[in-house]
Amino acid sequence: MNERRMGLGRKLLLSRSSSVLIVLVVLTLGFAILSPEHRFVDPDNLRVLLSLGSEFSIVALGVGLLMVCGEFDLSIGSILVFCSFVFLRLFEAQVPLFFVALTTILVGAALGIINGLITVRAQIPSFVTTLGTMMMWRGLALLFSGGEQRGCDVSTVPSQYFLPFFTGRIGGVFPAQAFWFIVFAVFLGILLHYHRFGNWIYATGDNRDAARAMGINTDLVKTICFMIVGVLCGFVACAQIARTACFTSRAGEGWELKAVAASVVGGTSLRGGVGSMVGIFIGALTISVIENGLVVMRIPYFWTYVVFGLVILFSVLSSMYIEKKQREVHQ
Amino acid sequence: MERQNGELLVRMVNIHKWFGRVYALRGVDFEVYRGETVGLIGDNGAGKSTLIKILSGYHQADQGEIYFEGQRVRISSPRDARKLGIETVYQEQALAPNLSIARNIFMGREPVRRWGIIDRKVMNEESMKALANLGLRLRSPDLPVVTLSGGERQGVAIARALHFKAKLVILDEPTVALSVKEVEEVLEFVRQLQREGISVIFITHNLYHAYDIAERFVVMARGKKMADVKKKDTSPEELSQLVIKSAFAE
Repeated sequence: MNERRMGLGRKLLLSRSSSVLIVLVVLTLGFAILSPEHRFVDPDNLRVLLSLGSEFSIVALGVGLLMVCGEFDLSIGSILVFCSFVFLRLFEAQVPLFFVALTTILVGAALGIINGLITVRAQIPSFVTTLGTMMMWRGLALLFSGGEQRGCDVSTVPSQYFLPFFTGRIGGVFPAQAFWFIVFAVFLGILLHYHRFGNWIYATGDNRDAARAMGINTDLVKTICFMIVGVLCGFVACAQIARTACFTSRAGEGWELKAVAASVVGGTSLRGGVGSMVGIFIGALTISVIENGLVVMRIPYFWTYVVFGLVILFSVLSSMYIEKKQREVHQ
Repeated sequence: MERQNGELLVRMVNIHKWFGRVYALRGVDFEVYRGETVGLIGDNGAGKSTLIKILSGYHQADQGEIYFEGQRVRISSPRDARKLGIETVYQEQALAPNLSIARNIFMGREPVRRWGIIDRKVMNEESMKALANLGLRLRSPDLPVVTLSGGERQGVAIARALHFKAKLVILDEPTVALSVKEVEEVLEFVRQLQREGISVIFITHNLYHAYDIAERFVVMARGKKMADVKKKDTSPEELSQLVIKSAFAE
């Protein structure tokens, strides 16, 4: 009997990540074969996919981590745009680039901590907290910037490291953004699966009362996870400005739900306590592939959300089905 | 089994607790001797859980003193309680269902190597050892707790106490949602704790579950201690009369 349980547990773990992987592979192959002149796998397009897609995906990693500990962050796009605005202002004030980037990331961290503190201190659902901060930070960014796009060309300042760091190509080929996506995924994966803090994240999301009773400071765990999301937003704000050489008040719009979608597609539970960094990584990649693939296929942009919807529903239904099957065997 | 002359492990003196306008504990004295098993009984809302949550650091008393091994102590968090050697097994909320057995046993106190990386080998081996000590043989420490039976889950929670060399284990309604067979399983775990010389507080409103294993009974009602009797001086009938009477008396 135990034998059978073990076998199934294994299978479940495998199937969770592998069903996401199948979706990703099918989509990639589909786009590769069906796109005109196989343009999807053209090196230029792959480079675009990896640099643009990674910006979103880096933030999605943090959102997934946060969801494992049982919280949401709808304010990522707004934190991002607020950080971009901070970057712009400091850049215009001719602060050295290193300090511009550092401050931008610290501001991101601070906004994350604010989300966390409001959520845990006032015991408000983070869905509501971050709905509020989502509107507030974007509102302030719009107010201060007048809703304009403004040039912010970092290359006008002599700096050896800044641009290569955020937008360079490793070996002349591989985009730096994708490198950072992998680095953050590996780092957060180690944190979540191998570090004691990861066990606290899981415990907090899975059963907060138990975690508290076992002496885990669940408020601190949650606040740190919010902060991680904020740091990633600040980092991506820098990377985005480095790539586009301009500030736009629409940066990060719509990312909040795409990030939740990436996590859910990757097998993260909306109730917390369940999810893996591999799954979140693949989920984020899947969202980026869909977005890029549809453009390459010359399918009108509006279809993107239809496909997102289908992929989300498919992955949630299939993981529910798997869970149900599993429970039946146990009983 | 005569322990009234034994060494005092815990003494709670004149404990008062308010929740807003609810006077939950009205000056309760409570003590446990080393190696002793106390059945804490009473109806719902009698104050049993509140008293115990003060001892395990989940709540703080508004007034009163706690002595542990003769020393006055301040228990202001679950962490403080665990440092003293007080482990609590809560009825349902003791475990994280989706986490593995090993990760549950070591929750909050993971064995780590450098930089806080969990030492899985130690964690898994120690988990299996602790479970085996309880007579519980589970196939793998990697199984998520959700796949275990109710009795096995309590076993995991109790193994946690055993592993961390608890001096006092508090079991808060450990048999509440269990089948008859599983109740017997849990009682067997408690007997193992007794053999190890660990003090146990067994909270229940099912007197018969506690009767076999406890040596002394404390009856609570409406935030007060109504009775404190040794098993040899009482009977299950008398105790249940006490519980019912004290619930209605004023």
